[in-house]
Amino acid sequence: MYVCLCKGITDKQIVQAVNNGTASVRELRQQFGLGDQCGKCTFMARGVINEAMQNSSARQNSSGKPEIFVPSNTPSVSSSYFTLPTN
Amino acid sequence: MRGNSTVLLALNKVLTRKLTTLNQFFLHARMHKNWGFSQLNNKVYQASIEEMKHADKIIERILLLDGLPNLQELGKLNIGEEPSEMLKLDDKLQTDDIRHIRDAIAVCEGEQDFVSRKMLADILAQQEEHQDWLDTQCSLIDTLGVENYLQQQL
Repeated sequence: MYVCLCKGITDKQIVQAVNNGTASVRELRQQFGLGDQCGKCTFMARGVINEAMQNSSARQNSSGKPEIFVPSNTPSVSSSYFTLPTN
Repeated sequence: MRGNSTVLLALNKVLTRKLTTLNQFFLHARMHKNWGFSQLNNKVYQASIEEMKHADKIIERILLLDGLPNLQELGKLNIGEEPSEMLKLDDKLQTDDIRHIRDAIAVCEGEQDFVSRKMLADILAQQEEHQDWLDTQCSLIDTLGVENYLQQQL
């Protein structure tokens, strides 16, 4: 569904952004302009972020890889940066 | 006629929900239409018009009670990306609306505003009807599968 109707941002886009290292509504605002216009979506956006972060951490734990701490306030660092090459 | 401030507040809350719902239904109806699902468009468009009529009744009632209907306030619209998601979001919104109308009815009852109470009870009856339709569509999608369901909505 559309979380931010003003800018046409869907929940899938937010989940994608979280998987790429976004961790706050402020970062979503910088990336997409989410919440810039009417601001009604920020509450829901926060919920989507939290859910996506829980899901991604659950997936990482179950995949057996060691947990790597990614500082949440550095938007430029993506989690893939830390994964080691498999070969 | 000077109305009770608690009742006016409750009526304005219901009005906000009505205005939100009519916008969501209207956009969903026209999205259905744009994708060629004219059956869904007809039904959801009609529901949106009904919401507008409910809003009208509430606005007139608030004015009669010497209150100020707040048409500026609008809640968050939950717009889906595909038909089945849109119906589910409409169903959820309608369920929440019904809960709020029931609360408002209880307020009117408590403040002995029986005319507002009756108006809301009439609105509630129509809401429950549309919710039943939405429930049916959601369960049809589950039993038929979304492709079979949508084939019947052309």
